[in-house]
Amino acid sequence: MLNLDELFVTRKWVGKPVRRDQDIRFIRGEATYVDDLEMECGHVAFLRSIYAHARIKRIDTSKAAALSGVLAVVTGEDVARETRPIVPRAITRPATQYVMAVEKVRYVGEPLVAVVAEDRYLAEDALELIDVEYEPLRPLVEIEDALREDAPLIFEEAGSNELLHEKLEHGNIEAAYREADLFVKERFRLHRYSSTPLENWAIIAKHEKGDDAFVVWANDQQPGRSTTNVCNMLGIPNSGLRLIVPDSGGGFGIKLAIWPYIVILCLLARRTDRAVKWVQTRREHLLAGTHAPDARVEIELALRRDGRILGLSIKDIQNDGSFIHTAGIYGLIKFATMVGCYDIGATRAELVSVVTNKGPTVQNRGVGKPTMIFVLERMVDIAARRVGLDPAEMRFRNFVQPGQMPYSTPSGEIYESGNYPECLRKALSLSGYEEFRKRKEEMREQGRYLGIGMSASIEPGTSNLGYYYTHRGLPEYMGNAEGAIVGVDYDGNVNVLLGSVDEGQGHATTTAQVVADMLGIDPGRVSMSTHLDSLISPFLGHSGCYSNKFNDVDLGAVIMATKKVRDKMLRIASHALGVEAGELTFRNGEICWAKDERRSIAFKEIATVAYKKILLLPEGMEPGLKEIAYYKNPAAKPPSKANFNVQLTHSNSVHMATVEVDVDTGAVTIVKYVIVHDCGTQINPGIVEGMAIGSTVHGIGAVLYEEFVYDENGQLLSTSFMDYLKPLAVGLPRFEVAHVESPCPTTLLGTKAVGEGGAIGSLAALANAVEDALAPFGVKVTSLPITPEKVVRAVRETGEI
Amino acid sequence: MIPKRFEYFCPTSLQEAISLLGTYGEEAKLLAGGQSLLSLLKLRVADPKYLIDLGRIAELAYIREPGACDAAARTDGPEGEIAIGALTTYAAIKGSRLLQGRCPLLPQTAAVVGDVQVRNRGTLGGSLAHADPAGDMPAAVLALRAELKAVGPSGERWIRAEEFFLGTFATALRPDEILTEIRVPVLKAEKAVYLKAARRPSDFALVGVAVCLKLGRDQACEEVAIGVTGVTEKPYRATGVEGRLRGRRLEPKAIEDAASAITLGVEVSESIHASQGYRSHLARVYASRALQAAR
Repeated sequence: MLNLDELFVTRKWVGKPVRRDQDIRFIRGEATYVDDLEMECGHVAFLRSIYAHARIKRIDTSKAAALSGVLAVVTGEDVARETRPIVPRAITRPATQYVMAVEKVRYVGEPLVAVVAEDRYLAEDALELIDVEYEPLRPLVEIEDALREDAPLIFEEAGSNELLHEKLEHGNIEAAYREADLFVKERFRLHRYSSTPLENWAIIAKHEKGDDAFVVWANDQQPGRSTTNVCNMLGIPNSGLRLIVPDSGGGFGIKLAIWPYIVILCLLARRTDRAVKWVQTRREHLLAGTHAPDARVEIELALRRDGRILGLSIKDIQNDGSFIHTAGIYGLIKFATMVGCYDIGATRAELVSVVTNKGPTVQNRGVGKPTMIFVLERMVDIAARRVGLDPAEMRFRNFVQPGQMPYSTPSGEIYESGNYPECLRKALSLSGYEEFRKRKEEMREQGRYLGIGMSASIEPGTSNLGYYYTHRGLPEYMGNAEGAIVGVDYDGNVNVLLGSVDEGQGHATTTAQVVADMLGIDPGRVSMSTHLDSLISPFLGHSGCYSNKFNDVDLGAVIMATKKVRDKMLRIASHALGVEAGELTFRNGEICWAKDERRSIAFKEIATVAYKKILLLPEGMEPGLKEIAYYKNPAAKPPSKANFNVQLTHSNSVHMATVEVDVDTGAVTIVKYVIVHDCGTQINPGIVEGMAIGSTVHGIGAVLYEEFVYDENGQLLSTSFMDYLKPLAVGLPRFEVAHVESPCPTTLLGTKAVGEGGAIGSLAALANAVEDALAPFGVKVTSLPITPEKVVRAVRETGEI
Repeated sequence: MIPKRFEYFCPTSLQEAISLLGTYGEEAKLLAGGQSLLSLLKLRVADPKYLIDLGRIAELAYIREPGACDAAARTDGPEGEIAIGALTTYAAIKGSRLLQGRCPLLPQTAAVVGDVQVRNRGTLGGSLAHADPAGDMPAAVLALRAELKAVGPSGERWIRAEEFFLGTFATALRPDEILTEIRVPVLKAEKAVYLKAARRPSDFALVGVAVCLKLGRDQACEEVAIGVTGVTEKPYRATGVEGRLRGRRLEPKAIEDAASAITLGVEVSESIHASQGYRSHLARVYASRALQAAR
């Protein structure tokens, strides 16, 4: 962390809830999304598999191709001839998959045929004229189906439906088990859900025939990786692809997987010699636009009688569906923070990625941590009951203490900062924990069932990419970094360009605040295009908006580039004013002599010297006033199974939910919700609070409403918002958000992750609250979602949700 | 929204609409507020060749209490009635002073249909003619024993609410008829309630129960009509429950007992949001709660 008093010349903007003026275009409906780009395009529609698992016997596209207005009809086989197979990142068994179905379909919704037509209506009409002959195979929907001994293989070449099976031990787990007085074990089932950004995937691809090169506009979340993937898949040089990302309407991880469709669109553009456009429908998005995997987790705590947790074991089986690129990564990212906020000396993790005939999975908000923290925080409550402790006391006894920071988990993850007990104390007080418990008893006498539940969670950020290759030799990526260009324009205003994109997080405002305080100007004078152009944006393989890395490496790059520009401005000013640079200060868009402020030079004049009157520059200085910087997180360790930090910053939070359960209808009402959050230094508390609440609502959706339901044939039954239920503003409580601020020593400003925390911590808090409310019925919560039907059945029959 | 190709008509009078319907018959579909049909078009589940948009027929949007002579024209009509044009939106019903004062069940029900956008666009006639098995308004018109006016090339006829709903998306309307008006009674001694179980406030009912109850001496049930939605393939009158209530004092025990008959003789539907068992259970709970509330 830098000395902020030295870094900033004013302290007017960082730390203030500055209004997001830079984003007003979104409110006004004036943003430029891919679909808004005015271009003559052919329009693409996909024929998608109606079977979960089938051999493709024959595809007859002749009628579709003959339809007037149809420009091209391309099958998976055509695509496979012109592309390389998808490269898997984590799985250890061989599996061959192309960007469209070839020979076999492996999930309902897998793209089989692409049609380009003069308009989308015609393209959709043409799909209905395509005749596909399938030979249905046994669908493997649930984990248990895929692991049955007589189960067919979804990828024959893999020799198994387990594509990754990893066992990791850290610390002395045998000793922990020996010393333990008791063991608590439970099995949990987590369902499938995902993110549903307002804007679905959208791509326009154009082929520049003369250069055999492509220009692509896509709302891609990780362009740094996509450009690599697309070029590799198409076998073209990097110069053959220019990727432009305009405004994007939300990402949450699932837009990391858009690149296979970019590959398809490029081929279609080349084939038709037209710009081609595809805008995903909501149905396509829910069906095949990637989910978070469902999971079965067994977890065991080895405890001392006083409640101290000595060891932790999990067996985690992920239903990764049928997308081999990211299969397995949920498990591998999860073990790193499996101890949560607790000082647990030894861990054992068995991680299994199972391929099934459900839809593809990819990183979704929190990637695995929502599952991990859910099972861990449920267990802490269960264990607390076993040893006769209050759940809060159980947590206090096991927390990593502030004095232990930086704390290394058994597997080498470094918690660089945090004050977990303080967060819980604050949450207990804000939620009125003690009074509530009295009220709860009174209400029960009236036949009303209230409960309170808590969870303490880690919210890691800045992925140390490469974690998923720990057993496959050296990974393609390591560490994490980002690039930025900061320039002073002719008029003395500041311009920032980032290698990353913005999915709605307000990067432009946050960046403007930092730059404004570094240069002593108003944030209104700092403009940042959040659009990306791979031709001009400062670009790395890591570039993109994911893993809460913005606050760390993105801003790090901005700060380093701004420092370079500032140094150059000082040297130009020093030369122009005839004053030592060390005696100069920044004031309202000018650089002036500290001893006599009347001797000053405005940014605009400095820019004029740098760009126009270049003969006035100091001897030997390059013209121009624009600097590029790349910044990497300094704490990243190279991949190693034995000692490895998978993520590089660690925010944390305590969630405290109060619920009322109607035991006759099963309805769960959230009465009160408290979030105490620690993401270190806050640059814009308004944005931080928005993200803390927004991510929590995502978790509430996962617990109470959202679920991808498949039938036994692998047909997805929730393919619209009538059946895939998002939480609504109506029915949500007013959130109380409070902060603890433990600055991160390894980021430049002391900032840490924000944006995923609520999606991680809320699951267990709500489940614990429901279990508390239903304590008179002895109901145990071991699965999600908590639907009204499951509540009624648990209360009346099974005793288990 | 990528529907199949259709031809679009936008008549400005009822007469014109009836004549278009006469021409295109079963290949045509009537569009009112579009809150159900557009979703079906979007998913290409419905693909009518002709779409007749009733939205510009101003004469079909009204709420009024006709004069005595008007009502007298109908021999079997009750004393006081309110007439509602088929194209009246939920929002208009929800906000109608007349209905709030004279037949509050309708505004109360309209208030829980969908969300604000749906209520601003969707219409009473559209909801009834679409006959979604989980629509809210059908339950209310059943409990109110409303009468529905159908107009076709050969003139008009009245259909009783309980004879209107034939099945999922199926009504007693003939292919050449348009539902134009709904008549509901002015409620005097009756108390009426609509309660709905839904996963979220704006969702279709998993179970919806509308009760219209008149108590007589000793708080005994003199008259009762119960409309149920969401439970089976069509909205229906819970005559089994009604029969157990008539003449009885509405003690909790009597209510429980009667409510248990709510799914009697009915094939309870199943969806990913409610199994048969849970839906039956909910129907009992909601019947009982609605009766309690109407008492």
